[in-house]
Amino acid sequence: MLDMHRDARTTIRTFVTERLAPAVGLSSLGDEDDLIDSGVVDSLGIFQLIAFLEERFGIKIGDEEITPENFGTVAAIDRLVASRSR
Amino acid sequence: MAYLLQQLLTSSVQRHPDQLAVRARGSSLTYAELETRSSQLAHLLRDRGVGRGDRVGLFFPKSVESVVAMLGVLKAGAVYVPLDPHAPVRRIAGIVENCGLRALVTTADKRRALPPAAVSCTVLVSGEPGGPDEMPWSALGAFPAAPPPEVSVEGDLAYILYTSGSTGQPKGVMLTHRNALTFVDWCAATFAIRPEDHLSNHAPLHFDLSVFDVYNAIEAGATVSMIPEETALFPQRLTAFIEEQRITVWYSVPSALVYLVMHGDLAARDLDRLRLVLFAGEVFPMKYLRQLADLLPHTELYNLYGPTETNVCTYHRVDRFRLAGQERLPIGRACANTEVLAVGEDGRLVEHGATGELFVRGPSLTPGYWGDPDKTARALVPNSFAPHLGERLYRTGDLVTLDEHGEYLFLGRRDSQVKSRGYRIELGEIEAALYAHPAVVEAVVIAVRDEEVGSRLRAVVAVRPEEGPTASALQAHCAGLVPRYMVPETITFQSSLPKTSTGKIDRTRLAAEMEA
Repeated sequence: MLDMHRDARTTIRTFVTERLAPAVGLSSLGDEDDLIDSGVVDSLGIFQLIAFLEERFGIKIGDEEITPENFGTVAAIDRLVASRSR
Repeated sequence: MAYLLQQLLTSSVQRHPDQLAVRARGSSLTYAELETRSSQLAHLLRDRGVGRGDRVGLFFPKSVESVVAMLGVLKAGAVYVPLDPHAPVRRIAGIVENCGLRALVTTADKRRALPPAAVSCTVLVSGEPGGPDEMPWSALGAFPAAPPPEVSVEGDLAYILYTSGSTGQPKGVMLTHRNALTFVDWCAATFAIRPEDHLSNHAPLHFDLSVFDVYNAIEAGATVSMIPEETALFPQRLTAFIEEQRITVWYSVPSALVYLVMHGDLAARDLDRLRLVLFAGEVFPMKYLRQLADLLPHTELYNLYGPTETNVCTYHRVDRFRLAGQERLPIGRACANTEVLAVGEDGRLVEHGATGELFVRGPSLTPGYWGDPDKTARALVPNSFAPHLGERLYRTGDLVTLDEHGEYLFLGRRDSQVKSRGYRIELGEIEAALYAHPAVVEAVVIAVRDEEVGSRLRAVVAVRPEEGPTASALQAHCAGLVPRYMVPETITFQSSLPKTSTGKIDRTRLAAEMEA
């Protein structure tokens, strides 16, 4: 279980680092680094991210869950995914 | 009558000094405060050597300081250049060099990200100065509160907006005070903005939709609420913002409204104050426009049309009774003091009902592209219909036809420019970014039509097999050169791309394969 959890976080971090961060000139990201003020997650990035999470983890993210609390950091996204995969 | 944009502020200060002019991120400024701060910034800039016609970059997230900076630069007799705070540093550095920025208003963090030699004078809206060339925002307080004497005339430049260029370099559309005021005056008369109105500002400041939000609020003595970039990301936050800030007038690209219709839970909010919703920048899918009209039964809806080079040149008021039967929403009729013409390939006006390219004439036309007389000459052509006037027409590149109501319909483009989320994108600029990768041998970018966002970008490339970058490595490469909305969503590989009989890459065939 612990391993699966770690895998999810790695998967999320890899997507954010490889697909979203380069657009704002960042090459590495900590799990607690801000994704919103930095522009890593922007109006386009948030949809790419949601589409990725829904497909990769087989979950559905509701409109009311699209909030800065759930998408502000890699750790927050991981918590959102974990809460849905139980 | 105002002939300079900043004179709109002068006249509103006299009428409503204590009225809120701008709100952003919990801060606000009254008209009197906006007048004082912007005058102080103008004096500071002049003190640092910024003179008439010099370009000053604005490079920071939206805030009340954004509006201070726009007006402060104008009062100094200079020209502001809004820069996308999230664009790749290399693209920003290219723009800084292209327009020869004299000064920059930015944050300490953003300044560090740019090459040190980029500009000689920096004003920081936040953060600590890192050297003698950098002035903190608090330095404004030492300068006089009265505006410096006016030196500009209406034909002087007010701002430059950079837009995608087909050869790989963004191009700077120059706009004069007269250009902007032609639009602002038309909006003021058409939409009757009042001091009680609360306008939102959704568009980024480097996008010309924001000209309405900021200057029509100021013209009327109304309040503009800048929507922070991070609020616009979260649909239900955005709906809450409209309700809580008591927004009465909204202007955005259709995709932002589609986003609210789909995810914003508009029905749960009290939006009765929202009297006017304007949209422009791309085609509004009819399915979602009908839903929006149902969700906002008391709101007037307008489709505005016009490229950055002319700002809005035609408009159409949405008719709720016609909406159910309409296949496409007209772009409508010409605005006041503007004429639009549909011109055929033979250079003559087309018959009613035939297809032609839309040409525009009037005082809203840009004088051209910064430092690019060739592109300017291609886009702005002599008015052969009235040669004695010695004026120019702007060729939009948009194909149109007149409908039975005498309104224009937009049919498509005559080149490879596409729209995605209202952003104007030259596919050639993305292809140039792909070719800049050493392993790429051939590249083509196709825009696949999409209801929600206008179009999605798909790239097909051929690479040197021994180097073989992955799709995500190529996307990261592009992300370093072009804004995110221009990075292809998918990249597929072929050993070589199909060619037409003349040896060009066969876009039509590749596009057909993707649509299939």
